[in-house]
Amino acid sequence: MSMTFDINTLVYMLEIVVGSLLVSVGVHFVPVGGAPAAMAQATGIGTGTVTLAAGSGLTGLLSAGLMMSVTDNIWPILATGAVGSMIMMDATMLTGDFIYSYAVGCPYASAKVNYDPITMFPQPPYVAPGTVGQGIPTVCFVSGTIGALLGGVGGAMIYYPCMQISGNPAQSAIFALGIFFVQSVIPSWNIQGTIEGFHDPKFKKWPLAFKASLIAGILLAIMTVLIQPLGGA
Amino acid sequence: MDQLKGFTFTPQQLRMYGIIGSVVGIYLTVGLNVLTGTKLFSFIGSIAALFAVLWGANAIRRICSYGLGTGVPAMGMLCTGMGCVAAVFGLNLAGRFGIEWAGVIITLIYAAIFGYVVGVLCNKVMKFNIPIMEEGLTDGAAACTMAILAWSVTISGSLSYNAIIADVYNTGFLALIFILGGMALFHPFNANLGPDEKQDRTLIDGMMVGGLAMIGVGICSLVTLGLAPAMLTIVVGFAIWYYFYIWYFRLTTRDAAAVVGTGLLPPSAL
Repeated sequence: MSMTFDINTLVYMLEIVVGSLLVSVGVHFVPVGGAPAAMAQATGIGTGTVTLAAGSGLTGLLSAGLMMSVTDNIWPILATGAVGSMIMMDATMLTGDFIYSYAVGCPYASAKVNYDPITMFPQPPYVAPGTVGQGIPTVCFVSGTIGALLGGVGGAMIYYPCMQISGNPAQSAIFALGIFFVQSVIPSWNIQGTIEGFHDPKFKKWPLAFKASLIAGILLAIMTVLIQPLGGA
Repeated sequence: MDQLKGFTFTPQQLRMYGIIGSVVGIYLTVGLNVLTGTKLFSFIGSIAALFAVLWGANAIRRICSYGLGTGVPAMGMLCTGMGCVAAVFGLNLAGRFGIEWAGVIITLIYAAIFGYVVGVLCNKVMKFNIPIMEEGLTDGAAACTMAILAWSVTISGSLSYNAIIADVYNTGFLALIFILGGMALFHPFNANLGPDEKQDRTLIDGMMVGGLAMIGVGICSLVTLGLAPAMLTIVVGFAIWYYFYIWYFRLTTRDAAAVVGTGLLPPSAL
């Protein structure tokens, strides 16, 4: 039996844990509206956290993997992962806004703040009675982009050490995705399924998910770094 | 038809069936394959997965009935996501120690520990205060991992780390197991939840989707195992799906207030 445990193993573990934490914090930025948002009765993207995490995580992984086939340098890989994830999230939010605007026909408004912190537009007059906002207003859009940035960097940072250990893109991608799913479900439980972005009062709960994700990330990192290629593959 | 008798299992019973069924099933699959020198018995792996599905679907049913705020699939995805890593972790560790047969046990134990720790984190750190969170997540994580491992064994026909990586991970079939298996585990409660949710109806739904997953896994194994073992998996999977589909249909009509035939479209619409 050959167990190689050196400083590199610790670095890999650290990368996986930091990546996990970035994903976990990133989820708090994404305006997840859930089913009410799909009916234009709440602010945010009309789907669940896990679906969004899968979408942006997969796109981030694809673009990071593409860059990794060209270079071993971690910085361009992280940057590509972030850009891929951000493009996916922005495209989703933009298309969602088109539908809210042209098909549903509602103004974008946040029910959690009186003034949009970025544009300073008043929000309450535009919130339809009986709903908690509609569409994806500017502040949510910006917040979602930041969330995708963190998620993309996090996903790429998990993928990179997996690839360094196994050298197997398929296995690394599945591991990264598995860890990504765990780290997106934990914070989405923390925010109870819906959040508007960094201006939402629920955002202040992020340290709780941070602690939980830290411990879960360490457990996952132990597994991931201990899996090493066996001879004869 | 309205006299159809249901069943109820306690979580302890289902945990016992799940652990014994999945572990024994996986060993039986690999053992028979090695003894006969063929891959024909790979379909037993998917039957072993059904035991894990019963166990896991019940765990998800118990926790999600508390209402977590997110959809039911989130918990299934947490457990299956972790299972993808844990399933090969045990096999790899066992392979390196030279005790390949112990991989299943290592996987089971690590998955259970992970589930327990996440359950404690949810209750103590994120303040969920759900009394069965630790127990339920331990069950859920372990069951999902065993199900993934059992389906992987159906595709590769062997329990060695290298075979599973080559046949299941490198081919990308794990993504299919991830979604189909996740469906078998979280879909039952997602589809049946509500004030009149009944354990037998939910679990039979899980078995039905487990049969469908078996057909999907069988189609995948056409590539890795060849025609004969794959067809066996597909045919047995179809039989399981059909049997539980009829059973589920009868349970649905039992629980429905009334079943009314509406006929085809009214003549004015044609």
